[in-house]
Amino acid sequence: MPAALTVRGLRVRYGPVEALHGVDMAFPDGAVTALLGRNGAGRSTLLRTIAGLLPAAAGHLDWRGRDITGWTASERARAGLALIPDGHGVFGGLPVRDNLRVFAGTGPIDPALDAFPVLRQRLGQRAGTLSGGEQQMLAGARAILRPSRLLLLDELSQGLAPRVVAQLYEVVTALAAEHRTVVLVEQYAGEALRRADVAYVLRRGRVAFAGEPAELLAAGHPSVFD
Amino acid sequence: MSPRHVVPAATETPPGPDVLTAHGLVRHFGGLRAVDGVDLTVPPRQVTAVIGPNGAGKSTLFHCLAGAQRPDEGRIRFRGRDITRLPDHRRARLGIARTFQVVSVFPSLTVADNLRVGAENRAGASAAARLLGLPDAAGGRTRQAVERALELAELTDVADVPAGRLPTGTLRLVELGRALAADPSVLLLDEPASGLDDAETARMRALLRRLAGEGLAVLLVEHDMELVFGVADTVYVMAAGRVVASGTPDAVRDDPAARAAYLDPLAGDGEPAPGPGGS
Amino acid sequence: MLTIDLALAGLGVGAIAALAAVGLITSYRATGVFNLGFGALAMLIAYLLWQQVRVWSWPVVPAALFDVFVVAPVFGLLLDRFVFRGLQRRGAGPAEMLAASLGVLVMLLGIAILTWGTESRLDPPTLFPAGTVELWDGATVSESALAELGVVVGIALVVAVVTRYTRFGADLRAVVDRRELAELTGVAADRVSAVGWAFGSMLAGLTGILLAPHLRLDPFGLTLLVLETIGVAVAARLASLPVAILVAVAIGVGQSELTRVQLEGRAQNMLQALQSNLFVVVLLLALLLLPRMVEVGERGTYTRIPAGNGARLPALWWLPYPVLLAAPLVLSTEHLQSAQQVPALAIVFVSLVIVTGFAGQVSLGQAGYAGLGALIAASLMSGKFFGFGAVPGLLALLLGALLVIPVGLVTGWPAIRRRGLALALSTFAVAAVVSRFVFAQPIFTTGLRLDHPWPFEGEHAFYILELICLGLTLLLVRRLHAGRLGRMLIAMRDSEGGAAASGIDVPGLKVFVFAVSAGVAALGGALLGMSGRSFDAQTFDPIQGLIWFAAVVVFGVDSAAGAVLAAALIVGLDSGTQPGVSVIVVGAGAILLSRMPGGALATARRVLMPALAPPEPAADTARSTARLTPAGRAVRARVHADREARPGALR
Repeated sequence: MPAALTVRGLRVRYGPVEALHGVDMAFPDGAVTALLGRNGAGRSTLLRTIAGLLPAAAGHLDWRGRDITGWTASERARAGLALIPDGHGVFGGLPVRDNLRVFAGTGPIDPALDAFPVLRQRLGQRAGTLSGGEQQMLAGARAILRPSRLLLLDELSQGLAPRVVAQLYEVVTALAAEHRTVVLVEQYAGEALRRADVAYVLRRGRVAFAGEPAELLAAGHPSVFD
Repeated sequence: MSPRHVVPAATETPPGPDVLTAHGLVRHFGGLRAVDGVDLTVPPRQVTAVIGPNGAGKSTLFHCLAGAQRPDEGRIRFRGRDITRLPDHRRARLGIARTFQVVSVFPSLTVADNLRVGAENRAGASAAARLLGLPDAAGGRTRQAVERALELAELTDVADVPAGRLPTGTLRLVELGRALAADPSVLLLDEPASGLDDAETARMRALLRRLAGEGLAVLLVEHDMELVFGVADTVYVMAAGRVVASGTPDAVRDDPAARAAYLDPLAGDGEPAPGPGGS
Repeated sequence: MLTIDLALAGLGVGAIAALAAVGLITSYRATGVFNLGFGALAMLIAYLLWQQVRVWSWPVVPAALFDVFVVAPVFGLLLDRFVFRGLQRRGAGPAEMLAASLGVLVMLLGIAILTWGTESRLDPPTLFPAGTVELWDGATVSESALAELGVVVGIALVVAVVTRYTRFGADLRAVVDRRELAELTGVAADRVSAVGWAFGSMLAGLTGILLAPHLRLDPFGLTLLVLETIGVAVAARLASLPVAILVAVAIGVGQSELTRVQLEGRAQNMLQALQSNLFVVVLLLALLLLPRMVEVGERGTYTRIPAGNGARLPALWWLPYPVLLAAPLVLSTEHLQSAQQVPALAIVFVSLVIVTGFAGQVSLGQAGYAGLGALIAASLMSGKFFGFGAVPGLLALLLGALLVIPVGLVTGWPAIRRRGLALALSTFAVAAVVSRFVFAQPIFTTGLRLDHPWPFEGEHAFYILELICLGLTLLLVRRLHAGRLGRMLIAMRDSEGGAAASGIDVPGLKVFVFAVSAGVAALGGALLGMSGRSFDAQTFDPIQGLIWFAAVVVFGVDSAAGAVLAAALIVGLDSGTQPGVSVIVVGAGAILLSRMPGGALATARRVLMPALAPPEPAADTARSTARLTPAGRAVRARVHADREARPGALR
C-alpha cells in the first residue's frame, strides 16, 4: 500500500510550547487509518495541521509526492484533502440545501440525500435549527459529496445514534474501497479500530503506537493511551 | 475521598415528593410534533435514561423539563407542584439542575467561581442580597457546597484555573460541578459523555452511580449505549416524539419495539427506520 | 384621503431611501458586517465625482462609471484587507465590528473634511435629467425618481439571481456564515469575501452618486442620511430587498401625505416632528414589533468581547490616574473649565463599561440617557419640570440621575430578547427618538437655566464635586465587578443559558444593568451640562453617542480606567487642537481594533508587561494561529502550557 500522505518530523507550536514533538506517520492509499489517543494528546492538532488550519513549525507534509507544507487550507481542500471538523461542521445560517451545494461544489447533491434521507425533508430549513444529530449527518454529507482523496474525520460519531454511526462507517469504508484515504479520529476506540487497516496512537504529542489494529485490540495496550 | 452527604435537600425531605414527573407533554415546531404525548417519571435514587434516534425529540423533551422551552400541552410536576410554566432559572432555584449538550460554562471565571455561581443562586439567598451582591447568611454554606462539588467532580486541582483554558473533557465536569454545587435534588444531563474519551466516560459513569446512590434523581439523554446500559435503572426509548418502550435496561434491550426503533444497528438498514424518518 | 400629487412627490424620497437601504442590506449580507460607514463611503465617492466633473472637467458618465466600478470597489478591498478581515478571523463580536465600522465612518468624514472642507457644494453632477414625466391628467413624477427606482429594482433582481442560482452566491454566504469551514470545504474565503466587499462598496458608490444631486453635497448630509434609512433595512429584517423597497416608498409617500394634515397647537408641533422623523420612528417600531432580524454569521448570536481583565496589576499602574485627574486643579480658570468635562464624560463612559463591558449588552444609546439627565436637571433647576418649583442644584443633579433610571428600565426591556446587532440598533433607535422628539423640541429646551450647584459654584469647587461623583461611580463599578454580583454579570455575559441554569434571573439582571447604567449616564450627562452651564442638545446627539461608544471600545470596553483615559483624551484633543481631531483619533483607533484585541489599554499592558498578560478567554485554543501577532502567539502558548501541565485533572 503506497502512502497517500506522509507526515515527516512534524512539530506544531503554540508560541514557544510544542503540541506535537516530531510526528512521523503515513496514511496508506485506499485504506482506513485510525488515529487514537486521550483527549489533549494532540489528535485534533495533527488533523488541523494536515488540513492547513495550523502552521507546522518544522517537518513536512507530502501529498502524493508533492510538498504541501506551505499550502493554505482552501488550496489543500481543492487538492482533495477534506477535514470534517468535530462539533457540527455545518453552516448554521444557511438552509440545508445551500450547505449541500457548497459542500458539493460543482457536483450534484443527491448522493448525500440518498445516504441520509432525513435531510431531504429538511432542505429548506436553516442548518442551525437542526437537531445535533442531524447537523452531524449534514456535516458527514460533505465526505460523500466532495470527491476528496483524503478524508480526515474528527469524532464522526459524536452525538449520533448507533445506527447512524454504523451507517456513516459503512459509507466511509465504501469510500476507502474506491481508493480514497480515510483517517478516523475517534473516542470510541473499539468501533474505529474494527474498521481500520492501520492504527496510530498519539500520546502527549508523540506517536506512542503505530501498527495493526489487531495488536491494539488483542493486547489492550492500555499503557500506550496514558 | 470519603463519600459525604452531598445532597442534604434530598435527605432532609422524604424521597417520595422529590420526584419530577411529566404527563402528556406535547411540543410542536410548525407542523412537526417533536414531542408527542410523553409521560415520564424521574424518581430519586435512580438514574433514568432517554435514548432514541437523532431527531426523535429527546432534546426537545429535555428542554421542556429544564424550562428552556414551554410544552404546548401537558404538565410537569415537581414535589407535587405544577412547574409547567416556571422559567428555567426558577426551576434551577427549586433544585432542578441541568447541563448542556454544548458545554455552557463561564470561560472568564475560574473553575471555583463557576461552581460558586451555581451555589450562590440557589434558593435561600434573599433577592436583595442577590442584587446588591452582599454576603448573606448562606455564605458559609456556599463555600462548603463549592468545595464538595469540586471534590465530587474531581476538579480540586484546577479550581483556580479560568475555565476558558481547560479542554472540553474537563469542561463537562466543570458544568456538572456547577450543577452539583447548587445542591440539587434532580440532575438533568444532556449527553454528558459527548466529547469524553473512554477513560473519562468511565469516570462519569462511576460519578453518576454515586450521585444516584446518595439520593439524587438523575435523568440523562445519551447516545453512548455502554454508558446508558451500565448506569441506568430505567431506560425510555423515544422515536418520532413518542416513548416506544421503557423499563429496566435488560427489558429494553430485549424489547422488539426498542430494537426496531433504535438499538439494532441492522434493523431497517438502508432504508429510513419508522422513527427517525418522520421526525 | 391620499392625494396622487403628494404621493408622487414622496416617491422621490422613497426612491432615495430604497437605494440606501438596499445597498446597506446587500453589503451586510455580502460581508457579514453591518457597516455604519456605508453612508460615509457614499459621500466620499460623491465628492470624488464632483471633483472630477466640476474641477477637473471630466465628462460625467465615464467619470461616474470609473468611480462606481473601480474606485469604490478598491475602497471595499482596502476595508476588507486592513480593517475587517482580522476582526472576522478573530471571530470578533458585534461590539467590535460596530466600533470598527464607526471608525470607518469617522475616518472617511475626516478625510472629506480635510480635502473639501465643511461648506456645502450646491452643484453635484447628475446622471439623470432633472425633468419630470407626466403620467396622466397632469400628475407628474420626477424622472430621477423613476430612474432610481429602476436602478434599485435592477440591483434587487441581480442580487436575487446571484444568491439563488449561482454557486458564488452560496459560497459567499458560506464564507460570511463560517469562514473557517468554508476554507476547509475548498472555498477561497479571502477571495470570495473580497468580492463581497467590492460589491458592497460599489453599491455605496452608486448610492452616493445617485443621491448627491438631491442633497447639498457636504460631508454630513449623505453620511447621516444612510443612518436614517437603517429603519428601512431593519423593517426588511436585514434580509428582504423587495420589502425594503416597499417600506422605503411607503415612508416617503407617508411623509409627503402627512404634510396635508393640520392639527391644533402642540399637537401640530408633534405631528411635524413625526413627519420629519418618520424614518427614525419606523426604526424604533420595526425593532420593537417585528420578529427577529435575519442576522448573518456566527457573530450574529453572541456579544462577548475579548476582555482585558484577569491578572492583578501592581499599585504603580494606578498611580497616574489620581495625579492626572487632580492636575487640572492647579490650572487657570479657563483651562479648568475645559477640564471639567473630563470627569463628567468619564462617568458617561463608565456607564458604557457597566452595560457593555461587564454585562455584555451592546448599548449605542448612552447619549440619550446622558442628555435626559442633563435636561431633567436643567428643568428642575429652572422650575420647569412638570409644575415643580425651582429645585436646588445638588438635588436636581441627584433627581436627574434617579429619574432616568426608570427610562433605563423601560429601554432595557428590549434587551431581554435581543442580542448583538438587534440590541445595538434598538438602543441607537431609542437615543435617536429621544433626541428628535425631546432634545430638538423647543417646548422642552427653551428657557432652561443650568449652572454649577450650590455650594460648588466656584470652578475649583465644581471640579471637586465632579471628582467626588466620579469616585462614587468607580466604587459602584467595583461593587459591580467584584463579588457575587460581578460573578453573576460575567456569567450572563459568558453564557446566558448557563447563567439561567444556575438560577440567575437573566431577564431581570439585564434590565437591572440597563437601569443602573442609565442612571450613571444621566449623572454624567447632568454634570456635563452643569460644567458648560447650559443644556446643549448637540452634545447629546445620537451620532455623538456612537463616537463615545467607539472611544470606549477602543480603550477597552471592560476597563473603567480606559473609560477615564478616553474621556481625558477626547476633552484634551478637543480643547487643545482643531475640532474634529479627537473624532479622527477615535476613528483611527477603532480601525486598528483588529490589531488590538481587548482595546488599546489591554494591548499596551500586554506589550509593556508580558508577564501579566491575561489568558485568552476563548475556549478553542485549536483555532488558527497562522495569522496571530507575536503577542497573540505568546498567549496561545501559555494556554497550551496550562493544558499540558494539567493533564492530571482528568486522570
